[in-house]
Amino acid sequence: MMSSTAPAQAPSTEATRSRATIPARLASYGTLLGLVALIILFSVLRPQVFLTPLNFTNILEQIAILAIVTAVQTVVMVVGDFDLSVGALASLVGVITAQLLVAGTDPAAAVAAGLLTGLLAGAVNGALVSYLNLSAFIATLATMTSFTGLALLLSNGSTVFGLPDSFVWLGQGRLGPVPVPVVIALALVLLIWFVLSKTVLGRAWYAVGGNAEAARLSGVNVRLVRFSAFLVSGTGAALAGIVLTARLASGHPTAADALMLSSIAAVFLGITLSRAGQPTIGGTAVGLGIMGVLSNGLNIMQVNSYVQQVLTGLIIVLAVSLSRLSRRRR
Amino acid sequence: MNSPAQRTGAASEGRRAPVLATRALSKDYGPVRVLSGVSLEFHAGEIHALLGENGAGKSTLIKMLAGVTAPSEGEILVDGAARRLRSVRDGQSHGIVALPQELSLVPTLGAAENIFLGLRRPGSRLLVDRRALDRDATALLERLGQRIPLDVPAGELSAVQQTMIALARALARDARVLILDEPTAALTEREAEQLFAVLRTLREAGTAIVYVSHRLEEVFALADTATVLLGGRHVWTRPAAQTSADDAVAAMIGRPPGQIYPQRETGEPALQRAGGPAALEVRDLRGHTLAGVSLQVPPGRVLGIGGLAGSGRSELLALIAGAQRPRGGAVLLGGQDITARRLAGRMRAGIVLVPEERRSQGLVMTHSVQDNIALANLGRFSRLGIASRSRERAAALRRAESLRIRATSIRQPVEELSGGNQQKVVLAKYLERSPRVLLLDEPTRGIDVGTKAEIYQLVRRLAAEGVAVLVVSSEIPELLGVADEIAVLHEGRLAGLVPAATATEESVLHLCYRKSA
Repeated sequence: MMSSTAPAQAPSTEATRSRATIPARLASYGTLLGLVALIILFSVLRPQVFLTPLNFTNILEQIAILAIVTAVQTVVMVVGDFDLSVGALASLVGVITAQLLVAGTDPAAAVAAGLLTGLLAGAVNGALVSYLNLSAFIATLATMTSFTGLALLLSNGSTVFGLPDSFVWLGQGRLGPVPVPVVIALALVLLIWFVLSKTVLGRAWYAVGGNAEAARLSGVNVRLVRFSAFLVSGTGAALAGIVLTARLASGHPTAADALMLSSIAAVFLGITLSRAGQPTIGGTAVGLGIMGVLSNGLNIMQVNSYVQQVLTGLIIVLAVSLSRLSRRRR
Repeated sequence: MNSPAQRTGAASEGRRAPVLATRALSKDYGPVRVLSGVSLEFHAGEIHALLGENGAGKSTLIKMLAGVTAPSEGEILVDGAARRLRSVRDGQSHGIVALPQELSLVPTLGAAENIFLGLRRPGSRLLVDRRALDRDATALLERLGQRIPLDVPAGELSAVQQTMIALARALARDARVLILDEPTAALTEREAEQLFAVLRTLREAGTAIVYVSHRLEEVFALADTATVLLGGRHVWTRPAAQTSADDAVAAMIGRPPGQIYPQRETGEPALQRAGGPAALEVRDLRGHTLAGVSLQVPPGRVLGIGGLAGSGRSELLALIAGAQRPRGGAVLLGGQDITARRLAGRMRAGIVLVPEERRSQGLVMTHSVQDNIALANLGRFSRLGIASRSRERAAALRRAESLRIRATSIRQPVEELSGGNQQKVVLAKYLERSPRVLLLDEPTRGIDVGTKAEIYQLVRRLAAEGVAVLVVSSEIPELLGVADEIAVLHEGRLAGLVPAATATEESVLHLCYRKSA
């Protein structure tokens, strides 16, 4: 949690030094060490290909869209919920935006309409969870199914082509050497970091996720706080869907579906770095880094993509169980 | 039963070798030494009470005796030989069995299954011989003088029956040393008596019993020997017959008792708070249990609220704080009707509820002292929605200092603090709101004597500053000691309102049961 990011400041009455021993510290940073180990491993195995600025940009570009979804998934998971509908929603927004563009809508208006769709979808999720008291798992599983159905319905199950270049720039363009999706993802991650760690809303998100009843009795509007987290995840999912559609230069009704599981996996990897067992944006970034480096490195090593998937699953299990073990020893 | 003289004689002369002993036992957690050089002896056929405040080292000591944690220094001797107990199973193989505070029974399984859980059962290795299992379980329960239906899931049995199953489980493991941690916490008085009878039987049969409890009366009714720990150190071990509850309390807090309840100062309330002092008034307030209660609490007054569990005590506070919606009635602060406001609105008006359950209602356990204190003050410590860390830290440091919260730093997660210090963090969090009306629900439950005394002094000091305080407590002496007036609830209605100065424990209890005093 936030408290682990800064060292102990002025101690209180019974002052003693920080208690964590060195091995305990190492264990709690196991996931970070894992990322470093992966980077070293691939650097040694393929130094000419892996350890280049170009490849570094590649990795960032490859995880940029996942990073957008994961940043907002982090928020929902801080509050103690899940959003299973982010992938399906991103696909749906992609289809809607693509169809508006094909129909001749101004790109800015089409993007705005896409984001608004995401905000509304997030409001539906938030209302189901927060005000109708459905479990987030059930509610977002249901909306995920419906969003996918809607996307297929609207697109008739086929890909929407013919998007204007000005829109496609969002996914394929560059600002100097940096791909536009990377810029968008970085900006969003920074924004979420700021909200989570510096604002009253972020503190309320953490408090509700840590103990909703204690938060309520402290005067926090728990329902509104949970609702707001789903607004964020809906809007973020829409943004990811828009950038993905621009990158592919087409809207496909299931293009973004796989983002959901990867985003939850990345947040879980990040949680292993947190002392309080709650997600942090820094931890999420490490989780994303592991997923990005792993997939890029295995690609460079020309490992079969099915094998890659098996390995990714194994690494998630390994990281999470290592952190469980180190926690139990305390 | 042995006469006290015989028992204490056996213990103090030490003719028999102890079954279990510790030699200069110490335990460090990081740089903090929680137990320091404790040497004790536990004899067969003796009930040995361990006394001390929260954080005195009792839990740590019994954890090491049971093999849950390893000592940092010193030795544990079983039958005179030094042993390293590496696990609970290791301890059990030496006949040392601990009953944790939360009995770890499987609620869906019956008594017999629970007793033999984890042991080799009678019958073959793979198949359960139900009849043999039931027969053996019945035999064990009979040794405790108990008849418990074996086909009822443990979760549906009474608390004392569950305790008996846990004891039978210990017998099934051939326990020679039985360690009990607050075994009566969940029991009624009558059930506790039942348990004591069984413990005396076990003592006669030669079991050494290590008994941890905060309830001193029962300790002195039961124990042969008492040991007091203070701040991780051994203060003294004495035959129970040669000491008293007062001696023990003095040793536990390191100073003479009697000053637990503060002097009441009378004087003009001098409230230097936003809005100044204000009286609380409640008119015909109704909820689920509460069936129309009217009260007035002027500034600077402490109103104790007594009554049996389920009489509506906690609900009254929840309704005043706005934590629960009323079915009718009105809440007025300084003459202004604030019934329409919800919890956050009433907090802004100066009404603050310190909830009963600190772990589930008061604190975010994984968060730091500072974050917990800030939680009730997020709006006040921020500008344009951006939280000010420096103001949070300043407030947390100030409160930690004034309430003497013992933590390594205000960054320490509250789950690592002792119960008393956790309670102080809950208080700090709400006091930071500078309340005009303070609602305390069981503010001293499960905390040590020293912290209790500090909380009572705090309540009186706040009252002297002009705060109107309502204290709900199950402990009548506490109400008598800290309140100016006591309101007793009975089945959702006000059964009586008595000045604390003239009330007695008996007269309040009579009101609780609604008999005329």
